[in-house]
Amino acid sequence: MLSRFQISALDLRLSIMAGVLVTMAVVFHLLSGQFITAENLYNIAQQTAVVGIIATAMALVIVARHIDLSVGSAMGLVGVLIAWLMYTKGWHWVPASVAGLAVALAVGLYQGWLVAGLGVASFVVTLGGLMSLRGAAFLVASGKTQPVADPVFLMLGGGLDGAIGPRLSVLMALALSAWLIARTLQRRRQQRGHGLTARPLWFDAAVTLSLCAAAIVFALAMSAYRIGDKPEGQGIPVPVLVWAVVVMVVSFIVNRTRFGRYVYAIGGNPEAALLVGIPVRRVMLQLFLLLATLVTVASIVAVARLNAGTNSLGTNQELYVIAAAVIGGVALSGGSGTVLGTVLGALVIQFLESGLLLLDVDIGWRMVIVGQVLIAAVVFDVLFRRATGERVA
Amino acid sequence: MTDALVSLHGVSKAFGGVHAVENVSVAVHPGEVLALLGHNGAGKSTLMKVLAGAYPLDTGEIRMGGSAVEIRSPVDAQALGIETIYQTLALADNLDAVSNLFLGRELLTRYGTLDDYAMESAAREVFRKLNPNFQNIRVPVRSLSGGQRQVVAISRALYFNARVLIMDEPCAALGPEETRMVHDLVRTLKAQGVGIILISHDMPDVFALSDRLCVMKNGRTVGTFRTADVDEDAVLGMIIAGRLPSGLESCTRMDDSR
Repeated sequence: MLSRFQISALDLRLSIMAGVLVTMAVVFHLLSGQFITAENLYNIAQQTAVVGIIATAMALVIVARHIDLSVGSAMGLVGVLIAWLMYTKGWHWVPASVAGLAVALAVGLYQGWLVAGLGVASFVVTLGGLMSLRGAAFLVASGKTQPVADPVFLMLGGGLDGAIGPRLSVLMALALSAWLIARTLQRRRQQRGHGLTARPLWFDAAVTLSLCAAAIVFALAMSAYRIGDKPEGQGIPVPVLVWAVVVMVVSFIVNRTRFGRYVYAIGGNPEAALLVGIPVRRVMLQLFLLLATLVTVASIVAVARLNAGTNSLGTNQELYVIAAAVIGGVALSGGSGTVLGTVLGALVIQFLESGLLLLDVDIGWRMVIVGQVLIAAVVFDVLFRRATGERVA
Repeated sequence: MTDALVSLHGVSKAFGGVHAVENVSVAVHPGEVLALLGHNGAGKSTLMKVLAGAYPLDTGEIRMGGSAVEIRSPVDAQALGIETIYQTLALADNLDAVSNLFLGRELLTRYGTLDDYAMESAAREVFRKLNPNFQNIRVPVRSLSGGQRQVVAISRALYFNARVLIMDEPCAALGPEETRMVHDLVRTLKAQGVGIILISHDMPDVFALSDRLCVMKNGRTVGTFRTADVDEDAVLGMIIAGRLPSGLESCTRMDDSR
């Protein structure tokens, strides 16, 4: 039956995860009475964005059998640098952000060269990065907090004025829906054009329409949240919008470009990738640069959210980013994982944190539980792969 | 007397201090099957990886159609029409059959993005030629049978119109049905003028398919012979002891006709 609908193990896994998220929301709501509220969902969406943005590229790094432990510290360095350029040096936020990106790319180039060019284990290179980039973040402003006040920049972090309003939110959800429908129709047409069998029409329609419904419900929920006596609801927060764009761009790279395919090929069989003529080193270097770019985007959002850059920005974020990727189904053995999975993985962690907080579970227990959920997700992963006939390395 | 399609002249390749291949010369002609024989570690696979561009050669020369060519990477070899079916098959297990066929040489749309539908329909056609029953070409190749995986590896050579085809133990993991498929394919390609280099331990395969055979030992050639001139005992003697059978002259000259 699965093959008639062309449901891959991946689609199945994503559906199960979406089901887990819904179940978590309902259970937390029943226990706390206030999980499924506009305010809580708004905050969760906004808080997940920073981890979610980096997790999309981290997934690809892990797919290619590498790891980057330095993303949290890199966030600290880039974030405090941008804030320092704005506050202490008086730069406009645009050149400051470009300078931050340049530094992130330089770090990515250096680490990527050590890994791809010299063949040093990425675990070691980025463990060193984890330590020294945190130190560099301290050196930028001698450990002093750098407040930022540019109102346009602060919108990037969400907050009071950092949402796009109800009208635009619903419009975007509708635009996304139209695009999803158009894409499904185009795929069916192309499949017919090449003499390939398409899925049953009702099935394609059901999948596409439920995704559209999810987008519209999300936009409406965000729009229902009002802060104080503002006349209008908030709508989709800017960080979530940024995250959505990142997810779409990275998904496009994965599914539609040679680079994306080569990342998976390298993860699936590095030796074969070399034998068929894939430029493995170049692909790995580009991958580290992609990650550096998204780390910059995430640190801009994080600085704008906190209204300041500090040298401790992003502390422990690498753990959450890797956990989001792993819970989202990225295998550390390489070769498998999806961008959409990291979205769900990041949300699972944030649902858990937020739900436990609403239930007044104290920090010690929260950490214990999140850690065990990470393990549970990997156990599920191992069993799922076994059940779907994927050999476990 | 035909010109060699591809010839290796005095090729050497060392790894650290180990001389994997030393001063080896072989040639394959259009429509000819050359069997490359020898123990594990005799240097066959290394020699072929030099020709396939996986290992750059240390010294020596590769000539195609009479002129010297530079092969520094698999891409160089592919551009010259040299295709290789590796013993390990060189498949990315997590990708499907279509992606594996085109791996490294994907078809692109005019926007530079992957043209998955064009690749899928082209792949279906190639797979149908090799095995009409092979349908599940959109699942990861890890879930395919040994024969189907072999089809995927072979399809690369077929789709990209190999002029020279290197086959490293193509039948080692196959059942009788699939072995016959490989034999048929070799004969078809041979009739089309493709030059085939066959690495095999299987004597019946070698004698059924090859026109000439070249025996290697410790990185050097023991000798090259017309398959019709030797028997299995003589060949085994050369592989094991590295000595030429009495009364038989090696015909290693490059312009040697078949």
